[in-house]
Amino acid sequence: MTHYIPDPVAGILLVAVIAAIALVVRQRKAARALRQEIAGLRSHYSELENQYTQSVQAAQERADDATKTVLKSAMRTLQGLAAEQQLIVSRLQTKYGESVILQDLLEIDHTNSQFGRRAQSIAVLCDGWLGRQREVASVYDVVRSAQGRIRHYRRVEILSQVDFGITSRAVEPVALALAELLDNATSYSSPDTVVEINIRTVPKGICIVVDDAGVGMNDEERVRAEKLLSTERVSGVAGLGNPPQFGFAVIGVLAERFGFEVSVDSTSPYGGVRAVLLLPHDLLTSAPEQREPAPVLPAVATTAGLGGPEPALGGTTTADGLPKRRRKRPMAVVPSTPSAAPAPPPAAPAGTSRRSGAESAAIMGAFQRGTQSGRATPAETDMTSSTRGASSEGHEIS
Amino acid sequence: MTGYDELEPQTPELVRPYVITKGRGLPAEDQLSLITLVTATADHRQRPTRLSPEEQKLLDLCAAGYLSVAEIAGHTQLPLGVVKILLAALTEGGYLITRPPVQRAPLADRDILEEVLNGLRAKFG
Repeated sequence: MTHYIPDPVAGILLVAVIAAIALVVRQRKAARALRQEIAGLRSHYSELENQYTQSVQAAQERADDATKTVLKSAMRTLQGLAAEQQLIVSRLQTKYGESVILQDLLEIDHTNSQFGRRAQSIAVLCDGWLGRQREVASVYDVVRSAQGRIRHYRRVEILSQVDFGITSRAVEPVALALAELLDNATSYSSPDTVVEINIRTVPKGICIVVDDAGVGMNDEERVRAEKLLSTERVSGVAGLGNPPQFGFAVIGVLAERFGFEVSVDSTSPYGGVRAVLLLPHDLLTSAPEQREPAPVLPAVATTAGLGGPEPALGGTTTADGLPKRRRKRPMAVVPSTPSAAPAPPPAAPAGTSRRSGAESAAIMGAFQRGTQSGRATPAETDMTSSTRGASSEGHEIS
Repeated sequence: MTGYDELEPQTPELVRPYVITKGRGLPAEDQLSLITLVTATADHRQRPTRLSPEEQKLLDLCAAGYLSVAEIAGHTQLPLGVVKILLAALTEGGYLITRPPVQRAPLADRDILEEVLNGLRAKFG
């Protein structure tokens, strides 16, 4: 053993080696500890990151929900106002039907419809109110309703009709979705082209085909449209882009919620887009009768003929006890016999079964003036008196 | 009762009048006045199906004989001006004929009126 010791260099080396080994071991240990710490930190970090993403997402969802709620109620107000204004405009149109003002009233009506539709679209994206439920309407009328909700409605032509109606639940959503399609079709084609609508019966239901003569969509737009229409639903108004593109997002939501299909993947014969809205059989029903149902007429005619008190149709009276007019009340069609023509004015207060002498005289006098003005040449003064009578009559029956 | 009925008048018409008129303008007053008489042309049987339900209805109304514009408007639920626009369009399309109202002169025979007046005076005056 001793012969090893005398070599001091070896001894030093040995010590150094041992020291080095100890050092390495320690370092290794430290490194392992560090590594563990790093791994711990990393997992902690990713956990934090996850939590952060989650909370950001939650915050975003909350913000989206808040936006949706606000927009929903704001749109509800706007929709209500638009509907109210539409009623007022309708009333004015009947009241001033013979005047030149009518032209302007029709334009106001048009603007108002577009305004209502915009509010409706935003409401749809925010899971809001779609508007009042409609009665069953013919496919043709629903298409025309959609036509009336876009700016360039004059460029839309309906080329065919079918004898089908749309269930009351689906009238408004189909009209709105179609309006969005027509809006796209008219906005992305030149102003002198026509947008054609064909309504076809197919085994699966009914197709409403919209063909425009625009430039069509590029691949990117097509992909976006397909995504919005089939798989990816938009929620809220985020992600609509700037300027926001509502059309396909709205249509996609409506199609999913009400069970119809919309596709825009084909090309129209004119080189533009062909959009097809497929209405399945559950949304269809037989075509509704004309707005003036004939069977109700005899009832009105008989009560009128008896001269009894106005039955205040449906028993509606205002708080003051006056009979209330009902809209959409059927009116007499062309009388086959002249005797059915003179119906008593419906505005007569309920309860007066017989007219007083003065009243009869007034009525007869009015009748006489009417016939006189009718025979007269259309001089300006006569016109006003006779037209006023006609307009008030029209108002009562509408 | 009121709760139910109040719902009804609140729904605006589905198809707005400007769509029914297809955005056409009002016809001139001398072309179609309230008392212009309108009737369908004889060959209305070969009516194209492209006409809107409102136009079809107007043609049906006019098929029986002459009716005044005011009367026709009274039988529809549409504003008078809208009816005028539709009638003007149908006339242009050759589905309707219009006839200006009968002039005042041939109706009021002055001699007869004077005779009646004289007779009444002689009897009661």
